[in-house]
Amino acid sequence: MSAEATTIPPRNGNERKYKWYRFQKASAPYIFILPGVVFYLMVTIVPMITGFWMSFHNWNIIRPTQPWVGLANYRKLFADPLFWTAMKNTLTYSIGVVPLQMILALLVALLLNTGIKGKKFFRLLYYLPVITPLSIAAVIWTWIYHPNLGIFNQIVKFIGLAPQDWLGDPAWAMFSVILVAIWSGIGYRMVVYLAALQGIPRSYYEAAEIDGAGNWDAFRYITLPLLKPTTLYILVTSVISSFQVFGLVNVLTGGGPLDATQVVVSYIFKRAFGDLQFGLAAAMSFVLFGIILIITLIQWKFLGKEVTYE
Amino acid sequence: MSANVNSSTLDSALRNQKNQGPAKASKWGKIIGKVLAYIVVTLGAIMMALPFVWLILSSFKTLEEISLFPPTFFPKNPTLSNFREVFERIPFARYYMNSIITSVIPTVVTVITCSMAGFGFAKYKFAGRDVLFWVILATMMVPFPATIVPLYVMMAKAGLVNTYAGLIIVGLSSASGIFMMRQFMMTIPDELLDAARIDGASEFRIFNQIVIPLVKPALATQTLFTFTGHWGAYIWPLICVNSDKLRTLPLAIPYFSGQYFSYQNLINAASLMAIAPVLILFLFTQRYFVEGITITGMKG
Repeated sequence: MSAEATTIPPRNGNERKYKWYRFQKASAPYIFILPGVVFYLMVTIVPMITGFWMSFHNWNIIRPTQPWVGLANYRKLFADPLFWTAMKNTLTYSIGVVPLQMILALLVALLLNTGIKGKKFFRLLYYLPVITPLSIAAVIWTWIYHPNLGIFNQIVKFIGLAPQDWLGDPAWAMFSVILVAIWSGIGYRMVVYLAALQGIPRSYYEAAEIDGAGNWDAFRYITLPLLKPTTLYILVTSVISSFQVFGLVNVLTGGGPLDATQVVVSYIFKRAFGDLQFGLAAAMSFVLFGIILIITLIQWKFLGKEVTYE
Repeated sequence: MSANVNSSTLDSALRNQKNQGPAKASKWGKIIGKVLAYIVVTLGAIMMALPFVWLILSSFKTLEEISLFPPTFFPKNPTLSNFREVFERIPFARYYMNSIITSVIPTVVTVITCSMAGFGFAKYKFAGRDVLFWVILATMMVPFPATIVPLYVMMAKAGLVNTYAGLIIVGLSSASGIFMMRQFMMTIPDELLDAARIDGASEFRIFNQIVIPLVKPALATQTLFTFTGHWGAYIWPLICVNSDKLRTLPLAIPYFSGQYFSYQNLINAASLMAIAPVLILFLFTQRYFVEGITITGMKG
């Protein structure tokens, strides 16, 4: 709009100069967006369409031909018990990680927002796991969980509980993975909540104070509703990323023991790069995509209703 | 929300009652609340930091000490030899260099492409702008796994598997970066740009000399996010690379750990050195990044 309003030829410019001026003005927006958009779409939309097409083929990178098989990959997938195990494990992981992580992040953000001294220092400590490369964090935790040499069993014994082989025991492996995931993700969500809390005008609380509202009332009727857009944002993005968990699982347990932590993406990986069944892996990717899409839409529908104030 | 607000709410309620006793009680309540807040936050912070503290302490332990059962907490005979030995036993310098190459180049390029695209989307009207922008936002929802298998096939056909180019090419732009830059640049008043236009400045000069200096916080935030993302990148390098010469730190350290689990002293020193760059960058940019998150996160 502004570019339209100011098509003013440069003072004392000749005809050629004016033409150049007009050209750079008209082409500028396209030149600005071109590299960013092309680089991005090249590695997202293009492979996505290719992947969808692949999922209807018996695609093996070693064979010369890739025959069309229709829905065979999808049928094979739904008949595969290990796929359902992976699905169940992913769901367990998501339910184990997302709610607890959000509640803890909110709690810490609320407490840090009370004017505690050393807020920046605490924020740094909570954020440390977020900036640590996940696979390296997983290496550190593998050692922390080590039954004999790790510190985790020492803490567990100190509290008075029984030590375990945390990553080696199918009964505990998923729990151990979930714990690391919560640890690594609290910081980011806390900072997002903190930013949102700082955006709530103090006058709201002062008004509530005049009306004689107490602690809980102010939280229940001011803070919580005003945090709703943030909560929805964190919930949706957390669920999406929890369904895509891979790196953590791959380093901590490799999907084991006995497939106790085999999640969908690690299974996609195994099928594609272990068995070279690219078509089947592509089909699995799209089933996962569909599930994520449906869950996201449900969240928007039920929680996103009154999200547009301001 | 804050305990300050709460206790002052309580304070005023009690003041209204014109009662001295409970006012004192509320003062105690305030103190207890504060103490509780400190305790909870500190306990949480200890749990967050404990793995790092143990990592740092243990990277100064000897191999004999690290193999002790039960494990020690503080090193008995602190040594720096682990940090040297890592470079001797594995091509750690090479891995480090690989990580620097495959993180710095994409970060610099991404910050440039995203700030340009953000400017284009924020400050111009052109055919297809809104559709294109929504397509980009919608693809943020596409899970990475849905693209990774075909991406590998595409890269294999282009001969980019097992090359630096293959590692770098997937990270030259980002949807969240474009989005964040757009949100930031929309806050720049149009009048400012128009004034420069009247003075005869070209669009590119306006971008370079007016817009960029105004969005430094966004640039800092994006540099932090992008660099952290690339420095920790695991899935794509795992697929794209199978030669040891191209391994980045997030691949090399788990690999090393899997091969030589008993050399935990070296693994610790390596992990610590691998985390250091992101930590330093975070310390330098952290005052900007809350602002960055406010703008990207909330309007998600």
